[in-house]
Amino acid sequence: MATPETKAPPLSAKDLSDEERALKGIGSDYEERFGFHDPETDYAYKSPKGLSREVVESISDYKDEPAWMREFRLKALDHFMQRPTPTWGGNLGQIDFDNIHYFVRASEKNSRSWDEVPDDIKNTFDRLGIPEAERKFLSGVGAQYESEVVYHQVNEALEKQGVIFTDMDTALREHEEIVREYWATVIPPNDNKLAALNSAVWSGGSFVYVPAGVKVEMPLQAYFRINTENMGQFERTLIIAEEGSDVHYVEGCTAPVYSTDSLHSAVVEIIAKPGAHVRYTTVQNWSHNVYNLVTKRAVAQEGATMEWVDCNLGSKLTMKYPSIYLLGPEAHGEILSIAFAGQGQHQDAGGKIIHGAPKTTSSIFAKSISKDGGRGTYRGLLEIAKGATEARSKVVCDALLLDSDSRSDTYPTIRIDENDANVGHEASVSKIGEEQLFYLKAHGLDEEEASKMIVNGFIEPITKELPMEYAVEMNRLIELQMEGSIG
Amino acid sequence: MTTDTITNDWTNVAETITVCRADELLDGEMRLIDADGRKIGVFRCGDGALYAIEDRCSHDDGPLAEGEFDADACTVECPRHGSLFDLRSGRPKTLPAFQPVDTFAALIEGDEVKLEI
Repeated sequence: MATPETKAPPLSAKDLSDEERALKGIGSDYEERFGFHDPETDYAYKSPKGLSREVVESISDYKDEPAWMREFRLKALDHFMQRPTPTWGGNLGQIDFDNIHYFVRASEKNSRSWDEVPDDIKNTFDRLGIPEAERKFLSGVGAQYESEVVYHQVNEALEKQGVIFTDMDTALREHEEIVREYWATVIPPNDNKLAALNSAVWSGGSFVYVPAGVKVEMPLQAYFRINTENMGQFERTLIIAEEGSDVHYVEGCTAPVYSTDSLHSAVVEIIAKPGAHVRYTTVQNWSHNVYNLVTKRAVAQEGATMEWVDCNLGSKLTMKYPSIYLLGPEAHGEILSIAFAGQGQHQDAGGKIIHGAPKTTSSIFAKSISKDGGRGTYRGLLEIAKGATEARSKVVCDALLLDSDSRSDTYPTIRIDENDANVGHEASVSKIGEEQLFYLKAHGLDEEEASKMIVNGFIEPITKELPMEYAVEMNRLIELQMEGSIG
Repeated sequence: MTTDTITNDWTNVAETITVCRADELLDGEMRLIDADGRKIGVFRCGDGALYAIEDRCSHDDGPLAEGEFDADACTVECPRHGSLFDLRSGRPKTLPAFQPVDTFAALIEGDEVKLEI
C-alpha cells in the first residue's frame, strides 16, 4: 500500500510574478447564461424545509410508490441520521440540512413533447440549448427541473429495439421488476451518509436499459436544473447494459446564482454485463452556491468496458469519485477526470478502480486546474484484489496552478494483493511558466490567448474523448472561466 | 428440530465446538462466538436452518454480526457500508463487498448447536 501525497503550498501575494498577477480575477458570464432563475408561482408542490420521517413519507405518498420502496426510504433515513458527517475531503460542516427543501415539484406532468412543457420551464431549457441539441445529435433527452423530470423522449427506432430510456419515477411504475432486481445493488443506502440521504429522498434521474447486442449510436442526454433557492436535488440514475450492448450517456447541470447554498446529491449505479460498453460523461457546471456530493459506481463484468468522463467546472464544493468494479475476467475500466477550481471553489474529485478478476485492465487520467485561490484535489483508489492476477493499470494525475494563491493536493491510494500486477503511477504539479507565455507571445498571441491555449492544451487529452459538441462546449466554458483573467 | 449443515469446504474441518443449547438459538436469532480468536456469527434463519460466517466483512472488516439480520431472506447487512451477505453461501449480494466471507458448518446434535471450525 502506498499513499504518497504532493502538495503545492500557497504563496503569498508578494511572490506573484507580473504574469501571475495578471491572471487573477474571473470575468465569467455564468450569471447571465446559466445563473438566472424563474418565478415559482405555479409550482405544484414544495415540501417544507428540513428532513423528517414525515417529509420522506410524503414524498413516497406523493409518488404513490410500492411498499418496498417506502420501507427502503425510511430505512435509509435512519442510516442518514445515524451516520456522522464526513470530516475528510471538503468542509461539509457548513451544510445546514434543516434549511433545505427536499422535494419540489414544478410541474404536474412529465411530457414527451416540448410543446406540453410549461412555458417558464421550456424557456429555461431553450436558453440552455437542450431542445436544439436533441434535434441535432442525441438519441434521447431527459430534462429534470427541481425534483422531477419534466420532459423525456427517446428515439423511436431505439424504442423498437427494446431500449428503455425514461425517468426513474416512471421506471418504477412501468418496469418495477427490473428496477427492483438491480436497485441499490451497486450502491446500498448505507454505503455512505450522502448515499443514505439520496436513498431516503430520491426523486427523478434516469433509467436506461439496453437489451443484449443493441448499440445506441448517438448519446442519450439528461439535463439537470435547480431553480429554487435552498433546494436539494437528489436524482437517482440506474443504467443496465445487457451483454454486448453499447451506450453513451451524457449529463449536464446548472443552477441560478444565490447567496445561500443548495445541495445536489445524486446516486448513479451502472451494470455493464459481459462484453458491454458503457460511457458516462458529465459536464458539471453548477453555480458556486451548490454543494455537489455525488456517489457514482459501476460494475463491469467479463470483457465489459466502463468509462467515466467526468468534467467538474462549477459548484462550491464537489466531492465525487466515480468508481468501477472490474468483476469479470478481461474487464476494462477508464476514468478521465477534469476539475477546474476558481475563487471560493474546492473540487475534490478523482476516481476509484477495483480489480476483482484476472486479466483486468484500467487507467485513471485526472487533470485539475486551480486559479484565484481555488483548491483542486485528486483523491483516488486503485486496488488489485487477491485473485485479480495479471492485472494492469496506470494512474496519472496532473495539476496546473494558475497563480500562487491556489492549491492542489493529491491523495492517491494504491493497494496491491497480487504479485504479478503491473501498475504505474505518475503525478505532476506545474504552473504556467513565464517562458511558455513568452514563447506564445513571441508568436503574436496576447497573454489571455496564450493562457487559454496552455490550459486547453493541458486538458486536451480528456476533451478529445468528449463528443465534438461537448468538447466545443467544454473548451468554451474553460475559456469563460479564464475570461477577464488578464488585465 | 431441523438439522442443517453448510456444504462448504469440509476438508478443512478440524474441530467441533459447542455454541449453545439449541433452545437458546431460536429462528431469527444470532449468536456471536469466539473460536480461538476468530469471531464467528451463527445465524438461525426463518426456516430453522443454521448458518455460520466469519464476523468480518470482506470489504472493510466490518462486524457483520452487528448488522441487520433478515431471517426470512437469510441475509445479513454489514453495518459499516451496507453490503448484503447471503448467509447460505457467504457471498455478497450487493457492493461494495465483492468477495465472499468464510462459512462454517453449523448443526444441531442432541440438544446443542455445534460448529465445525
